[in-house]
Amino acid sequence: MSDPSLAGADEAPNCVPSPRAQTIVGAGVLLVAAGMAFGALQISSEAGYGGVGPNFLPWLCAVVLAVCGAWLVWEARTGGFREAADPGGHPKADIGSFVWVSAGLLVNAALIGTVGFIISCTICYVLAVQGLRRASGQPQAGSVGTWIKDVVTGVLISAPVFWAFTQFLAINLPGLTDTGWL
Amino acid sequence: MEIFDALLAGFATAITPANLLWALVGCALGTAVGVLPGIGPAVAVAMLLPITAKVEVTASMIFFAGIYYGAMYGGSTTSILLNTPGETASMVTAMEGNKMAKSGRAGAALATAAIGSFVAGTIATVVVTLFAPTVAEFAVKLGPPEYFMLMVLAFTTVSAVLGQSALRGMTALFLGLALGCVGMDQISGAARYTAGQMELLDGIDIVLVAVGLFAVAEVLYAAMYEGRVVETQNRMSRVHMTTRDWKRSWPAWLRGTLIGTPFGCIPAGGTEIPTFLSYATEKKLAKGDDKAEFGGKGAIEGVAGPEAANNATVTAALIPLLTLGIPTSNTTAVLLGAFQNYGINPGPQLFSSSAALVWALIASLYIGNIMLLVLNLPMVGLWVKLLKVPRPQLYAGILIFATVGAYGMRQSAFDLFLLYAIGVLGVLMRRFDFPTAPVVVGMILGPLAEAQMRNAVALGEGSWWIFLQRPMSLTLVLIVLAVLVLPRAVRWWAARRAPLYQGTTP
Repeated sequence: MSDPSLAGADEAPNCVPSPRAQTIVGAGVLLVAAGMAFGALQISSEAGYGGVGPNFLPWLCAVVLAVCGAWLVWEARTGGFREAADPGGHPKADIGSFVWVSAGLLVNAALIGTVGFIISCTICYVLAVQGLRRASGQPQAGSVGTWIKDVVTGVLISAPVFWAFTQFLAINLPGLTDTGWL
Repeated sequence: MEIFDALLAGFATAITPANLLWALVGCALGTAVGVLPGIGPAVAVAMLLPITAKVEVTASMIFFAGIYYGAMYGGSTTSILLNTPGETASMVTAMEGNKMAKSGRAGAALATAAIGSFVAGTIATVVVTLFAPTVAEFAVKLGPPEYFMLMVLAFTTVSAVLGQSALRGMTALFLGLALGCVGMDQISGAARYTAGQMELLDGIDIVLVAVGLFAVAEVLYAAMYEGRVVETQNRMSRVHMTTRDWKRSWPAWLRGTLIGTPFGCIPAGGTEIPTFLSYATEKKLAKGDDKAEFGGKGAIEGVAGPEAANNATVTAALIPLLTLGIPTSNTTAVLLGAFQNYGINPGPQLFSSSAALVWALIASLYIGNIMLLVLNLPMVGLWVKLLKVPRPQLYAGILIFATVGAYGMRQSAFDLFLLYAIGVLGVLMRRFDFPTAPVVVGMILGPLAEAQMRNAVALGEGSWWIFLQRPMSLTLVLIVLAVLVLPRAVRWWAARRAPLYQGTTP
C-alpha cells in the first residue's frame, strides 16, 4: 500500500541503507543458505515409504535462500533493493547506545542464573536505560542522581514482576535466595 | 439451534468470576499494550506464554483473546493522539485521526474509533459464531494435500502479496521455515541443526522469536536510530460525538465491517488491505463538505471505516485459526503457539474435541467487546496518561518483561543469548525493510506444513502429482498461482498504460 499520502515525511532525511550495506545483507542471506546446506548434508535422507525425508525442507530452504540471497545482491548492485521503504529515524546508527543496551541484555543472560532475576534484570534495565537516555541526548544521563534513580526504578519494576510471576502464577524464575522473595 | 446452545454453554463457562476476571485483566492489559508504543499484542501474548504451564487452558485463552482484542482498541488511541506513524494496522486511522485531533476533535475521533471497533468486533464475532462450525465441518473432509496447499496459500499471501517486495517477503518466510527446521524432526525423530546443543533439540521457541523480533529489536532500534526523534502529542478533547458525527459514522462502521470480515476469513492475513480499502471507499463516497475534510480538518468517516475494518478482520481471522489451525498474522501465530503448549492443535477437530474451550472463547469475545467499550470510552483519559511514560524508561522496562517471557519458558540462559541474537536480526530486518510476519508465520506453520506435505506425498505413494489429482487441492494450487500472478499482471498492465497519462499532470 504505497500511497504517497501515507508517507508524509518529505522533509525527513532519506534513511534507506546504502547499496553497499544492502549487498552485505544479501551476502549474509547467501551465508545462511550455505550454512543450511552444510547442515542439511548431515541430516538423514531416509524417506520411508513416503518418498520425502527429513532433509527435504532443509534443502528447500537452503536452495530458496541461496536464490533470494543472490537476487538481493543483484538488486543491491543494480540500484538498490526495489521499493525499499524508508525506515525513518536517524540515517546513522548510534553505536554507543547500541552497545549500552546490548551490554544490558548480555549481562542479564550471563548473570541471571547466579545473581537471580531481580538483580540481573535491574542491571539490564539500568544499562539499557542509560543507553536510551544517551540516545535521546539527555545531558544528565551519566550523573550520579540519574544512576541512582535508574537503579531504584529498575528494582521497582523487576521486584514486583518477579513476585507476580513466581508467587501468583507459579512460574519458575531464578532467585538469589530460596525464599521466593529475592 | 445447536450453535445457540453451544454458545450459551460457552457463556456459562466464560462468566464464572475467575474467567471474567481473566477477560478483564486481558482487555485492560491489551489496551495498555495497544496504547504504549514499542509493544504490540503479539509480543504481549508471547511474553506471557509461560503462564500456559500453570494456568488452566480456558482461562489463559480468554486472557490472551482479551489482549489480542484490547490492543486493537488501544492502538487507535495512540495513532490518533501521537503524531508518529504506528503499526500498519492503525496507520490508516492515523491519517484522518491525526488531522481531526489537530483541529481539536480528538474526542470525536477516539469515540468513533472505539464504538466502530465495538460494532465491527461484535458483528464479526457473530460471523465467527455462525460460520466457524460450518467451516470446521467442511474442513474435516480435507486431507493432507488440501491442508498443505492451504498452508502454502497462507505462506504465499503473507510473504509475496503483503509488503513491498515479494523477494524480501520470501527471504523472510524461508528464514522462518529454516528456524522451524531446528530441533527434532516430527516424523522421523532425526535431529536437525542442533549443533550438539541439547537446548536446541526441542527447537527454537516461538516466544524467543516473537519477543526477540518485536520487543528486543524495537528497543535496540529505538536506541540506534530513534533517540532524537521528536514526538508531539495532540490535545485531548471531550469524548463526544455530535448528531452529525453519528450520522456520518454508522454507515462507515458497517461498510468497514463488510470489507474487513471477508479478509479475516480467508487464510490471507493482514489488515493493511482491508483498512486501506475501507479508507479509499469512504473517501470516494463522501460528498461536499465531508469530502473536503479528507486530508484537511480530518474526516470522521476516514477513522470510523478503517477502524471497523481493522477490528472485523482481526476478529474474523480467528476463523482460519480455530477451524484450520492456520494463523494469518503475528498474533494469531503466537496464539497457535499457546494452543500447542497445551497439546491442542487447532483445526477442524477442535470444535468436537475441545468444544467447551472454543465456545467459552467465542463467548468471551462478546464479553470482551463490551468490557473494551467501557474501558475505552469513559476511561480513555487514563490510557492517554500512559503516553506520558518517558521512552527510555518504557523501552528498558520492556526488556524486563522480555526476560520473563524468554527465560520463564524453560529457565535457560542460552535462550537469553539467542533472544539477543534474534533481536539484532530484527533490527537488520527493520532497517532493510524485510517484513517480520512471514518469519513468525513460517516458523510456527513450517513444521505443520512439512508434516502435511510428507503425509500427502506418502498418500500419493511417493508421487507429487497427488496435489493436482484431487479437485480441492488442484483448486488451491490454482488460487496460489493466481495470487502470485494476478497482482503482478495488474501492475505490469498499469505500468504499460501509465506513460499514456504522463504529461497530463504537472
